[in-house]
Amino acid sequence: MGLLAWLGLRGKADEQQPQPAHRPGSGPRPGPGPVYVPGDRATMPGPAHHPGNPPASPAGSPRAERPVPVRAAVPVPPMYQHSGPPLAPDAYGQPPAAEASPSPRPVPPPPVAAPAPVPVRPRRHAEDPWAPVVVDQPIVEFEPRPARPTYRPLTSSYRPDSIVDGWSSEHFTVRAASVRGYAHRYDGTPRQDDLAVAAHPATRAVVFAVADGVSAAEHSHIGATVACRAAVDSALDQLDRGSEGINWQQLVNGVAWQLVEHAKRMQGLEGPDSAAAERLLATTLVVGAVVPGPDGYTATLVQLGDSGVWQLHAGRYTALGKAKIEAGAAVFSSAVSALPRVPPSVGVVEVRLAAEAVLLVGTDGIGDPLGDGSGKVGELFARMLAQPPPPLALAHLLDFSRDTFDDDRTLIAIWQRPGR
Amino acid sequence: MADNRGNLLPVYMVADESGSMAPHIGELNAGLASLHEALLAEPMAAAKVRFSILGFSDDVAVRMELADLRRENELPTLATRGRTNYGAAFTDLISRIPRDVQQLKSENYTVHRPAVFFFSDGLPTDGTRWREPHGRLTDRSTTPAAPNIIACGVGSADASTILDVATQQEFAFVSIRGTDVGSAIAKFCTALTKSIVASGRALAGGHPELVVEKPDGFRLAVDVM
Repeated sequence: MGLLAWLGLRGKADEQQPQPAHRPGSGPRPGPGPVYVPGDRATMPGPAHHPGNPPASPAGSPRAERPVPVRAAVPVPPMYQHSGPPLAPDAYGQPPAAEASPSPRPVPPPPVAAPAPVPVRPRRHAEDPWAPVVVDQPIVEFEPRPARPTYRPLTSSYRPDSIVDGWSSEHFTVRAASVRGYAHRYDGTPRQDDLAVAAHPATRAVVFAVADGVSAAEHSHIGATVACRAAVDSALDQLDRGSEGINWQQLVNGVAWQLVEHAKRMQGLEGPDSAAAERLLATTLVVGAVVPGPDGYTATLVQLGDSGVWQLHAGRYTALGKAKIEAGAAVFSSAVSALPRVPPSVGVVEVRLAAEAVLLVGTDGIGDPLGDGSGKVGELFARMLAQPPPPLALAHLLDFSRDTFDDDRTLIAIWQRPGR
Repeated sequence: MADNRGNLLPVYMVADESGSMAPHIGELNAGLASLHEALLAEPMAAAKVRFSILGFSDDVAVRMELADLRRENELPTLATRGRTNYGAAFTDLISRIPRDVQQLKSENYTVHRPAVFFFSDGLPTDGTRWREPHGRLTDRSTTPAAPNIIACGVGSADASTILDVATQQEFAFVSIRGTDVGSAIAKFCTALTKSIVASGRALAGGHPELVVEKPDGFRLAVDVM
């Protein structure tokens, strides 16, 4: 059974095949579910690939009457569509010909029936120190579903729910965590965020990267990991080579190329295919370095997409680089630019950190609830990050529960250790 | 912005309640019920939707306003009455949507561009007079929070009218049976809200280039995964 049929979007080739069994009231649809992306035609209700195709219908309820679309296309509002230069055949390589094709596109393995997430009794932090830190209204509590197996055999299928890191170098204390969002835990999607952070002893620098895989890309969690590690490795290599500092354009170009090479190997392609890399591995990236100098500590960074960098000082947050949420905008859009697309000239931000300021680098999963930092989440983090917490405590904090905030969250926090 | 409580998607179900809809109104109501059930099974998505139901005929009857469907026991029902005044519906939305967006913002939410699902048999009784308020509603320079309108023709709907109501041709559907409507909207809402919160389903402007050439000095990274 194809993905189309499973979604109730039956193509001609699927018409004789059974619909999936899904009992009403049995919870969300199981298994390796659809990647919910505008532009992914298979996930949208309404006329999908084929003229004459019905809109999504309750599974297992054949109808005598076929709705006929006025135009066979996907109802994706323009705000969710690619507005940059076209990438043939379209932003994520969904071939336009699919609309006219009688065959559904190649699909992932059929879904395996999985139970709904296991509900758990809500816990209170006062009774259980490992209960989620609740901010305002909590998200419903449940046992996370396992992340469904990822790409094999060329990459490991293992994707941990959360990762934690923490250490001190001569001049910095680092805490870092990446936790899967509640929505991905609920539907069994792997964590699409990742991070990498490393010390460079010779320059006394710390280099860091966070990435947020674009969910429209099929294996964006791998893209995020490739991008973070390639970025940090490249920064360390450049620092090894001498005193010229880091050429950020070269670094970003190299990371984009790593994604292209990785996609080539994943797909067994003979040559590089940037469009395939974007379709499979697209990811945002923030990469930077912080170094101690005679006049204080300086952070230098590049921001591709909507992850953020902040300086937390005296309880107040200052965004370094561009902020995602624009004050005064009529409506909010979270469209991003992402690797392997590379701006012709990457914008480099260099900031002298305030004494005793904490440098924060995070994906929008933390950036959105943080906002400008003056709200409840900002207050909570300002209080908890006044001093470096134990690494596991940062992960627990980052996993806070607040209604509507269910994205993956990744945060690297770097404290200065002057005079050491 | 004092506190960001979340990023919400306002969704409006605007349904024709005129007399000619009598054969379909039961199916639409059943569709609403199935929409409710479907969204309850997707609590993460449902959390980010605020749902309004408006019935229109000679005027607009507000059946539900900015509801969090997780907190509703059941949805209201539509009832046929009067004629088919499209202009009344669009005129109502011209003031309603900016007001709702402002209210949500005042509650410290950020707001995505609203989505309107418009259901009708496509036979307006106000001739072409509805086109002026429709134009004002959908013009983003006039109405900054102008909604995307997904127009769904019910029964023997006039396709050209449905096409003109939709803000893009791709958002126009005809011959949708009422009972299919609930699951169709539910999937749309779920897909939209999931994709909205999922980072970057779309690429922004700014004309970044796709890397096509191997940079100088490039070497392949060790495969770590």
